[in-house]
Amino acid sequence: MNNPFFSPGARPEELYTRAASGFLEMLQRMGATLGAQAPPDLSKLGAPLTEQFEQWLRFTQGSGPWMAGGFPGNFGAHAPGAAAGFGPVPLGPAAAGEGQRLWELLSRLTTLQGQLAAHLAQIARSATADFLARAAGRPLASAEDALRLYELWVECAEGAYAAAARREDYAQLQGELANASAALLVEQRRQAESLVRAFGLPTRAEVDALYAQLRELRSQLEALRAAPAAPRARSAPRPRKKARPSPGRRGR
Amino acid sequence: MSAAADGGFAQLTQGVLATLERLRAAREVTVGCSQRREVLRLGKTTLQHYQPLPGVRPAGRRPLLICFALVNRPYVLDLQPDRSLIRRLLEGGRSVYLIDWGETDESDRHTTLEDYVLGSLGGCIRYLRESSGGEAVDVLGVCQGGTFALCYTALHPGDVARLVTLTAPVDFHTPENLLSRWVRGVDTELLKECGNVPGDVLNALFLALMPVRLTQHKYVRLLTGAPDQRAVEDFVRMERWIFDSPPQAAAALAQFVRLFYQENALLRGTLSLAQRPVRLTAVNQPLLNLYAAEDHIVPPSASAALRGRTTSSDYSEESFPTGHIGMYVSRAGREGVPRRILEWLRARE
Repeated sequence: MNNPFFSPGARPEELYTRAASGFLEMLQRMGATLGAQAPPDLSKLGAPLTEQFEQWLRFTQGSGPWMAGGFPGNFGAHAPGAAAGFGPVPLGPAAAGEGQRLWELLSRLTTLQGQLAAHLAQIARSATADFLARAAGRPLASAEDALRLYELWVECAEGAYAAAARREDYAQLQGELANASAALLVEQRRQAESLVRAFGLPTRAEVDALYAQLRELRSQLEALRAAPAAPRARSAPRPRKKARPSPGRRGR
Repeated sequence: MSAAADGGFAQLTQGVLATLERLRAAREVTVGCSQRREVLRLGKTTLQHYQPLPGVRPAGRRPLLICFALVNRPYVLDLQPDRSLIRRLLEGGRSVYLIDWGETDESDRHTTLEDYVLGSLGGCIRYLRESSGGEAVDVLGVCQGGTFALCYTALHPGDVARLVTLTAPVDFHTPENLLSRWVRGVDTELLKECGNVPGDVLNALFLALMPVRLTQHKYVRLLTGAPDQRAVEDFVRMERWIFDSPPQAAAALAQFVRLFYQENALLRGTLSLAQRPVRLTAVNQPLLNLYAAEDHIVPPSASAALRGRTTSSDYSEESFPTGHIGMYVSRAGREGVPRRILEWLRARE
């Protein structure tokens, strides 16, 4: 996800257009599926609604919200299996052994994404079932009716999602997805470090060490800046010089 | 469908297209409306002083320092003249200061919560005390900034005269807190090792709390609601703010997730910052706790947990019928919240 307002070349209207086209597509699908029946047989909407919602969920949360926006490298963005296309980068002198570790991490991430996809499919089915049960017998004869049905659909979809998202296994999966993505990123960086070290280039470890030194120096500097005031305050008072009377005080 | 229904759908489509046109025209909206100037710089953090409004008599002698969250930009408090908490406070005669955390970059990877709470927030409070004759200051902590303000006040109670918290999480383990459930299994050491977390990742996390409403439904409502140009511009300003999230310093975020979301250390009384215990019982100032009844990011139960946890003998709270962002910009929030804060301060001069 990019910031639609500040990303170079991004067009904010795309966000709205996507929402609008999704909504209009839903209306068209309703019209095409239901025809001119009155009252409409909403059960015909079940399969297309489930399919559309599941696709949408997978698009927006394919790798879980933690990684969806894109850590550097954008692992596993948007669709299950996308991470598999990323492939390990066998870099540095110890690449042979490290490649295995990368494959393991990728495999783990893909497995977790599969589990998430199963959750999303279940959410889509539950949302549709709830919607069909609650929408039965409602009219669909006007644009207002369609909007009311849409509101009901949102309520059902959000309800099904919330019910799943609050479950312990779903929450645990989110944590595991975050950890698997982070581990993959860290492993790739570790391999890149071994390569840049071989070329004599500065590594993250070196930059961190320099930063730690800089931080230590800063705190020492702050302590030194604060120091002169403290000893004076604690030292014994000096004998006061005899003040020369100022002109203004003379004679008082 | 009937011809009348077809006509209705055609009209709806026309309305959507017209709103899309207004959205294109609203692309260049500006944000922020009150004059301010930088009075202190501490690394990347700046302390901003808002210029008093002409003709407004000063109320109270203490400065009011606003401490906002790290996860969003504070300009939502001063979005536009009719949606500005800061402007309402200025109209009430308050001398308003705001901490701007600045732009986080890779050099902030190791910046810690102590740096933010004790260094930046503490530095701003010390500066204000020195410039106002040593008097303690009033603090308004917003969201995560409210949690920071509570921590600082607990450690330095003499620096803060009166404390207002706005949608500030205190108990991170209440049943409604979905965010907390999701991050409990996150390995924070690994998170720290990944480096700064881009704002887009956090945005994705917040949107995932209510994905259909936040990424689809709100746009459909806008598009089908026949808004005028002004309403569209208001909407775009909010969108700009929502998606304008700064990256989060790796060390500080990892600490925040572990100490607050996972360990709930502030509420449990096990929190330490810079090896000093942070105890809510050390907070004894007059305290006003405001929160949103429909908040999906900081559930009201997370904020209301402050009740009875401090030793303040002057604790008040109020729940507003709106959501997290609504506390800053909805009608309930933009009228009720500043009025409550001003009245509360006035009654305690």
